[in-house]
Amino acid sequence: MLLQIVTNGILKGGLYALMAIGMSLIWGVMDIINIAHGSFIMLGAFTTYWLFAFFGVDPFISLIFSMSILFIFGYGVQKYLINYVIRANAFITLILAFGIEIFINNLALVSWTADVRKVEVSYGASNFSFGDMITIPTVRLLAFVLVIVISLVFFYLLNRTNLGRSIRATSQDLDAARLAGVDVARTYAVTFGLGVGAAGAAGTLWSILFPISPMMGGILTLKSFVVVIIGGLGSMLGPIIGGLALGVTEALGTNWFGSTYENLISFTILVLVLILRPKGILGGAT
Amino acid sequence: MAILEGKNIIKRFAGLIAVNNVDFHINPNEILGLIGPNGAGKTTLVNVIAGVYAPSQGQIQFKGQTISGEKPYRIGRLGISRTFQVVKPFPGMTVKENAAVGAMFGAGGKKTSAKEAIKKAEEVLAFVGLADQINKHADQLNVPSRKRLEMAKALAMEPDLVLFDEVMAGLNFSEIDQAVELIRKIRENGVTILIIEHVMRAIKNVCDRIFVLHHGEKIADGPVAEVLNDEDVIKAYLGRRYKELTH
Amino acid sequence: MGNKALNNFLICGLIILIVSFFPLVSNNFSIRFGTDILMFAVMASAWNIIGGYTGYASFGNVVFFGIGAYITAILMEKAGLHFGIAYLAAGGAAALFAVLIGLPVLRLRGHYFAIATLGVAEAMKALVQNLDITEGNAGIYLPMLDLPVRHQYYFFFYMMLATLVLTLLVTYLLLNAKLGYSFIAVREDEDAANSVGINTTLSKTFAFALSGFFTGLAGSIYAYQQAFIQPGPAFTVQTTVQMIVMAVFGGMGKLFGPLLGALCIEMISETLSNYFLVAHTLFFGTVVILAIVFTPKGMIDLITQHKFGIAYLLQNIREHRI
Repeated sequence: MLLQIVTNGILKGGLYALMAIGMSLIWGVMDIINIAHGSFIMLGAFTTYWLFAFFGVDPFISLIFSMSILFIFGYGVQKYLINYVIRANAFITLILAFGIEIFINNLALVSWTADVRKVEVSYGASNFSFGDMITIPTVRLLAFVLVIVISLVFFYLLNRTNLGRSIRATSQDLDAARLAGVDVARTYAVTFGLGVGAAGAAGTLWSILFPISPMMGGILTLKSFVVVIIGGLGSMLGPIIGGLALGVTEALGTNWFGSTYENLISFTILVLVLILRPKGILGGAT
Repeated sequence: MAILEGKNIIKRFAGLIAVNNVDFHINPNEILGLIGPNGAGKTTLVNVIAGVYAPSQGQIQFKGQTISGEKPYRIGRLGISRTFQVVKPFPGMTVKENAAVGAMFGAGGKKTSAKEAIKKAEEVLAFVGLADQINKHADQLNVPSRKRLEMAKALAMEPDLVLFDEVMAGLNFSEIDQAVELIRKIRENGVTILIIEHVMRAIKNVCDRIFVLHHGEKIADGPVAEVLNDEDVIKAYLGRRYKELTH
Repeated sequence: MGNKALNNFLICGLIILIVSFFPLVSNNFSIRFGTDILMFAVMASAWNIIGGYTGYASFGNVVFFGIGAYITAILMEKAGLHFGIAYLAAGGAAALFAVLIGLPVLRLRGHYFAIATLGVAEAMKALVQNLDITEGNAGIYLPMLDLPVRHQYYFFFYMMLATLVLTLLVTYLLLNAKLGYSFIAVREDEDAANSVGINTTLSKTFAFALSGFFTGLAGSIYAYQQAFIQPGPAFTVQTTVQMIVMAVFGGMGKLFGPLLGALCIEMISETLSNYFLVAHTLFFGTVVILAIVFTPKGMIDLITQHKFGIAYLLQNIREHRI
């Protein structure tokens, strides 16, 4: 029984981790707290839904589309909007993100109505069993595997490519990067695009496992905060550790206290981590 | 009795020893110069005195009272003011308000209302020569004026001891001479002064005594002429050329 | 008191008088709308104390609103106390909570402080949803005000107006006192503030407590007015977003900025919802985006600098773009 709970927690934690990777990247490189993060997750989820509903595209396949579309969208938002206020105090960018969140959420609401939707795949009910102890829905397992794959891709991108190098250079010292010939405006745009693309991927996977609606983003942004803080900024591993930690803690906690305690557990952990160890588990450079 | 006394002061930062078993004292109304190469531990020592750091070991007494380990604001209120090497004005406030804050919360602050503090600020600013800029915003000042403002903030606190951290950096010769004059006037008002400096022109002209730090250790402590001719000091910091040039 | 200050006081008094006549000549709906503007003005002004003047941008001030609302509901409904007592207790409880949570949380800076306060607000919402004394998600019904309907509208309007006047008056007095200077010093350079003799911990906590107090009062009136509260609406992050947007839009760190911001934002919002039945929040989001890009210093700055031209708008972009 305990093993099942922990397994559930790990699977959900993987999803949390993917949500947080995007936010952590944007925060770590550009010092932007993307309040609109959940809205981008929502857009990824709906991209998958509409591709599924209209064209019958398998949601796992649609991952490519949702990530690409969201990447382009994020690139545009950074290049043509956020880049214009980025050197003002951090607060201004924050409010801009609020505005973007309001805009995207309500555009979705107006276009698609508030109806709750679900991506129902034919294999949605099938399970993997490991003996009598653990049963895992196939879709959850697949989603978890994809989280690992996408995380590895991001890791490779950031640490082994020139693009990744210019991103890391820009995050460490904007002016030095400029002097070294990095096009910082474009680098920022690409970074934001990547972060939003990751959010889109998380949205796609979320839509396979849970119901979706235009207003789903808010709580997901908050959960992403918790994961980023728990895991610590400054490395790719942070959100992963944080996501798994949150997933397992929530699973255990809701099992002991009741499912209505899920949010109380998450946010109490957030506050405690900030008070006791603000740098998080992996406490890297800010 | 010395107004400030430090015994066996050690300050460690996770394996790096910045201040290594230093004894020092300052006599009332004295001007003590603190010199040494970059990284010698001068600012760290000042930070320890001012309460920014607690010493890893050792005790500091001010006017007979132990102050080591106290918070910076408490030490400020007890009568020790300091300036920062890289000046820290309050950019969004006017020059007058900047100095007034010192008067409100410093050693003289308990008996000073906000209104009185503003009056006092005007006096202090006139004293340092910023009378014509009191209504400008602090971020509109040029470098020498910012240094003056930094000093004014410290003086407005009505300190018994003031710690000046490289207030001459970036000034030209005539500005240095003006600053030296100002420091003399401050001493004439009964204030004791510790001055960290690299500008030898100022050190020679204003200090009573010099204290030299090198790699966190005291290597000389005595009258100006004696210290500036000390072999160890010359080797560590001043250089042979300095001795040749100034004799 | 100088002549100028006296003049300003008289002008303010006159404006308050004029505003007081507003309910007498308006319909109930308009009075309610006015009360809402005043409520947001109180919250935005209260936020301004910790966020604008002290430089600690709290993202969780709604927690004080919710605490004020729930304390009022519990004291009136379960303990049968009079609104007056509940109102003061609400403010006091919120202020006390601010001190308790402020001690650990005010040690954090910038982004971390913002997220910590956000976490506190969300945690409180979740807690209230699970407690018995707060009736969880079912919510609490408050006793109704025993007055004719029209007079009820008057009551809440004037209570909110009085709260706003109190908030702004206290803020004004502080700004001219040592405490106010200490807030601004903390914002401008906290290390320098410490070395100049300011007990920054005390200052910050005081600012946070004041901010909580007035926000709690607003929550108290709101609860009585609604006669019913639930955790969701009482602690929603939307409220925090609104009060921050209003404070920034009007001008943070300025006395009347938040009031102006509340007025403008509510007017714009109302106008939009009249014209665009369907998509008004969408246009509202657009307004927020445009406003923050072109006038990040707020409306007060726009007005006091007498810059109404395109040049001012473009200058802001030039200063802030990458």
